[in-house]
Amino acid sequence: MMKLLLPFSITPDLEALSEEDWALQPDLKVDTSFTPLDWNSFDESALEMSLKLSDNGAAGSFCFYRCALTVGGMPSDRFLKTLAALKFDELVRVDPGDADLRFRPEVVARLIADFAQTQAHPDFILMGRQTQVGDNACTPLLTAELLGWPCVTQVTALESADEHRLRVTGAVDGGTSVQTVSAPCVLSIGDAPCTYLRVPTLKDKMAYGKKPITLLKLSDFPGAEALLSSPNAELRSLAPIRKEREGVLIEADTPEEKAEILYRDYLKGRLNRL
Amino acid sequence: MALIERQSIVEGLIRILGKENVITDEQVLKESSLDRYRKYEQVCEVYTQPIPAAVVYVHSTEEVADVLKFANEYQINIVPRTGHSAIEGGLETALENSIVVDGSQMNKVLKVDQYNMQVTCQCGVPLQDLDDMLREQGYTTGHSPQSKPLAQMGGLVATRSIGQFSTLYGGIEDMVVGLEAVFPNGKICRIKNVPRRSVGPDIRNIIIGNEGALCYITEVTVKIFKYRPENNQFMGYTLDNMKTGFEVLREVMVEGYKPSIARLYDPADGAMSFSHFAAPGKCVLIFTTEGPAAIAEATAAGIKEIVARYDECEAVDPKYIEKWFSHLNWGPEQIAQEREEIRATQNIGITTEVSGCWDCIYEIYDTARRRIMEEVPDITLIGGHSSHSYINGTNMYFVYYYNIVDCPPEEEINKYHNLINRIICEQVVQYGGSIAHHHGLGKARAHYVHEEYGSSFYMLDTLKKAFDPNGIMNMGTLIPLRK
Repeated sequence: MMKLLLPFSITPDLEALSEEDWALQPDLKVDTSFTPLDWNSFDESALEMSLKLSDNGAAGSFCFYRCALTVGGMPSDRFLKTLAALKFDELVRVDPGDADLRFRPEVVARLIADFAQTQAHPDFILMGRQTQVGDNACTPLLTAELLGWPCVTQVTALESADEHRLRVTGAVDGGTSVQTVSAPCVLSIGDAPCTYLRVPTLKDKMAYGKKPITLLKLSDFPGAEALLSSPNAELRSLAPIRKEREGVLIEADTPEEKAEILYRDYLKGRLNRL
Repeated sequence: MALIERQSIVEGLIRILGKENVITDEQVLKESSLDRYRKYEQVCEVYTQPIPAAVVYVHSTEEVADVLKFANEYQINIVPRTGHSAIEGGLETALENSIVVDGSQMNKVLKVDQYNMQVTCQCGVPLQDLDDMLREQGYTTGHSPQSKPLAQMGGLVATRSIGQFSTLYGGIEDMVVGLEAVFPNGKICRIKNVPRRSVGPDIRNIIIGNEGALCYITEVTVKIFKYRPENNQFMGYTLDNMKTGFEVLREVMVEGYKPSIARLYDPADGAMSFSHFAAPGKCVLIFTTEGPAAIAEATAAGIKEIVARYDECEAVDPKYIEKWFSHLNWGPEQIAQEREEIRATQNIGITTEVSGCWDCIYEIYDTARRRIMEEVPDITLIGGHSSHSYINGTNMYFVYYYNIVDCPPEEEINKYHNLINRIICEQVVQYGGSIAHHHGLGKARAHYVHEEYGSSFYMLDTLKKAFDPNGIMNMGTLIPLRK
């Protein structure tokens, strides 16, 4: 049986923020506490990819043990219950208490690595390359480094190669790579097409959704907790990116004349530069 | 059914409207053969309905009259259309060689009458554009359905649309002052704009809600209201039981308060929007008030006093409700994303809206929900909310999602969607409610028109026969086709 560890984040839906919501607070953070929560999209891809491994074909006969791990408060339980209904084998939530880990990838990576080494003992760790909020794209790499495992980045598809190896498709400069990867390995899931997490039926929610969630605390991970007091970076300032657009009304009598003006004044020069 | 062939229909239309306004592109015709009632077929690009002969763009009332006269003479089915946001099959071309008459290019706002507080516009004016323009001048239509970014004025009136602030402003039937419409024989009728009159039946209501089955709406005059968003007040509560929620809503209405929004979500539906503040299993109750500051504040204070009598209701930070309020509507971006999600997950979400008096709405909600859970395969969510309340009752907006399993696209509608619709309609009829609150009957629920109307079906049938004796107006809508 191949053991998969799937760390995932639940993040505020930043698209639900209006322009005025992006006001900086004194601690240089943006208040997202009033915003609905959603799967981090890269992690959602990772979770769905792990389920697809068991779908159709000969490869579907291989056995997988899926352990989902998240760091967050009570609202994360709703998402863990969804995974329970999708028949994930183990569900773990680490309550960070008052600690804000959104911009502390080194702490999260330490926590994941410690959990992998002491409790989960996975063959592969599948996780999204970044979250919408932290946006640092380094948690998978740091985790791999802490574990001393290789890390494949920008993964876009997974298949079973055999009982112990995965066939990993990834984006590389100017193309796509397909490689057969042996355990142990961290797989950093990139911009995979159409990997929305499937939806469990109500019957499965009732049958499997009550699977217990293992609740841990940050203090159960002394290595990670110790890092909290010594941040390796300090946020000094933030400035919004200036986004300005302007429009020009092209005036002419006929569509043909308007198209001519559009081409002559706005497109021709650009096309020549291509 | 039509007395002439497809090619002759197209040639006749070109003579009336010019070649550039008669579209026969195959893909356009296919996409014009259905609406979002067959959402899964749309996503899969499988077209099971008869393909229309043409989609035509009209630019004036006279052009509409000419097209209808032509269709009437040759008994060609006409499907009136503006924003193409219908979701109950009202835009399906149920008969071979139909003509889809698209009024979206009749999009002029004809008069903003700030003194008499009314605005007149052509049928193809997008509600979003109209309301944005009015808001810049300090006014609003007060009409804000979820389809606001898509819907246009003719279609909104034709389907008896309702907006999310209806508890204060009313449905579209309360807003329409006057109308212009074209009947199948080409007769153009105008109903003048007056505050009220007592000159026989209110003939506006022959046109409002006719769903294109009696006439083609070309012009609409609706009331406008002062726009004062700075006075808006927001309130939100969590509670354990829908029954309690209905009691609170009833008391608010019976005591005479007019919040702009009064909503009650059950736990399943509420979890989709409010799980960041409502614990699992909790219902959510929402109110907003608006208008002059003194009224908005007094209404909010009165509602708070009522809710405070129910220990079960726990107040939440109003900012949650304010944030929700600013993301109410569905536009093209959401529809595009939904399509992508359906393709990826084979999970689809549909709604059915009904209404009932206070003494039966809970039973309608509860029994339909239970039956759907028991009888429909592959259900992933069944829930609902009440979003439009009246002194004598409220609506229930059922929301349901299901996985499409081992089912070709053309069979999905019967395996899942129609089965759920049937269960809901049966429960509504059993308890004496109405099977359609604001989406219209369309073709999806036309099969239940006899149960819905009872003895008053005589009146609807007589209207249809009188105004559309040749049976050319959106056949299959309101009254089902005879097999």
